[in-house]
Amino acid sequence: MVNIGHRLRNLDSLLNLRTGPGAAILPKDVTRIHMRFALRLEGGHMGPRKFFRENLPRLKFHNPTIPMIVQRNDDNAGPATLSIYFREATGSATAAETPWGITSSRVMDGSIEPPAPGPGERVLTINMRGAHSEKILKDFLTKTGAVAVPISPRDEALKRKLEELEVYAEIDRARVLKEHQDYKREKRMLEQAQSEAAALKAEME
Amino acid sequence: MASFHQCLASMTRLSLRAPARPTAAPTIPMFLMPAAATPAVRYATVNMKKKVVKKKKTYKTFRSYDLTRMDQYSLCEAMRYIRAAEVGQPPNSVKYELAVKLKTNKSGPVIKNQIRLPFPVKNDSRIGVLCADDSPLVAEALELGAVVAGGETLLEDIRNNKIPFNKFVCHADMADALNKARVARILGPKGLMPNIKNKTITKDIKSTMQDMAGAEEYRERRGVVRIAIGQLGFTPHMLSENIKTLMSALKVDISNIEDSYLKALDEVVLSSTHGPGFSLNSLLQPTDGSVKPEDLVSPM
Repeated sequence: MVNIGHRLRNLDSLLNLRTGPGAAILPKDVTRIHMRFALRLEGGHMGPRKFFRENLPRLKFHNPTIPMIVQRNDDNAGPATLSIYFREATGSATAAETPWGITSSRVMDGSIEPPAPGPGERVLTINMRGAHSEKILKDFLTKTGAVAVPISPRDEALKRKLEELEVYAEIDRARVLKEHQDYKREKRMLEQAQSEAAALKAEME
Repeated sequence: MASFHQCLASMTRLSLRAPARPTAAPTIPMFLMPAAATPAVRYATVNMKKKVVKKKKTYKTFRSYDLTRMDQYSLCEAMRYIRAAEVGQPPNSVKYELAVKLKTNKSGPVIKNQIRLPFPVKNDSRIGVLCADDSPLVAEALELGAVVAGGETLLEDIRNNKIPFNKFVCHADMADALNKARVARILGPKGLMPNIKNKTITKDIKSTMQDMAGAEEYRERRGVVRIAIGQLGFTPHMLSENIKTLMSALKVDISNIEDSYLKALDEVVLSSTHGPGFSLNSLLQPTDGSVKPEDLVSPM
């Protein structure tokens, strides 16, 4: 099994799940979230994918109880929507939302329409098509009224440590690149000299 | 032209190599030098040091680490991170994986067994049963969930490459018929040929089928037992039941191995198809209460 030093270093990357754009706590009345967009990029489906890959994991980490369903298909001409379901203020708090019975999926054909809101539920839809992931996130945070999670002192220290290491990494990268290029250059010159010497030898014989 | 190339080549060589011999050449001509000053030994041999090949230390056991240095997580914490990392992935195809590291010698007996988890990870087993056509076993097998059961008709189907099953059991009475039927060439490469060693030729079809459906095989490779332990959609309760079952089975396996061999549990790591790996500390939820099992039951 991999050395624990390496595995510990890998766990540092969990910082990216805890902090960053999208690390926010959703208000209590958000019941669930549904995303639909295409598997491939063209037709304005780049932003939704970036949001899904980069921001949605952070939202899920800070809101583990809220179901976040992502359905993707191969219809690039189709819509890309982010539906947020809210519990109505007037609806009784005990009205449990009816389970959707759907899960995240990648389908070639078939329906991936966002489900209709259950009783005592309302839905708010954001059109993600053609939008940049940052704009989608901004829309999402303002429309839901989510509260950003401040970075903890421990994470702050870890972040600083990783940034310091990154400075050293940059120096090392430059050094290794130079060494590699020198090696390549010497090798090339040596080969050239050898081939010339061989040609000369052949000429003299 | 030739002389120019020669010159270039030799100059290049000069600029590349550190001189093999010291360049501090005597300024006086060789023949004027006293005989004693001429080096008695050739440089080529002077520079040749006897290379001492350092013997690499070999260890009898696989390396084990001091786990006090490792961050360890409770099951719920690990699941929270994994569910965040895997958000939006199809929950049936993404699996939780468990790696159990053992303290063990590199050579010697290894753990190899199969297990029925309380919540099966895969449920795609299609069992075929070979038994006499007119026996009551056919109806019984079909009732137990076999996709196909029969005798000569089934063998004929297999010869025609109609194989709807991915697991195959044979009743002991049909073993001779099976051997005569010349189907080993078809079933063998698929790993479906029943034999006594695998307990797929049996007198008790019922218990064999029950063992087979949802049974997971595991074995120790390089000191680690790895097995798919759950689907992404599982709740903490389901996953912990599966882990507990596996760990108790492993303890039994270890106790079955002779005492003279070193074999002990070392570390348990939970991971998933795309997620990071977490070393587990035998707790269900963290002591600070940051996440509870009921938080992690929502559909994925």
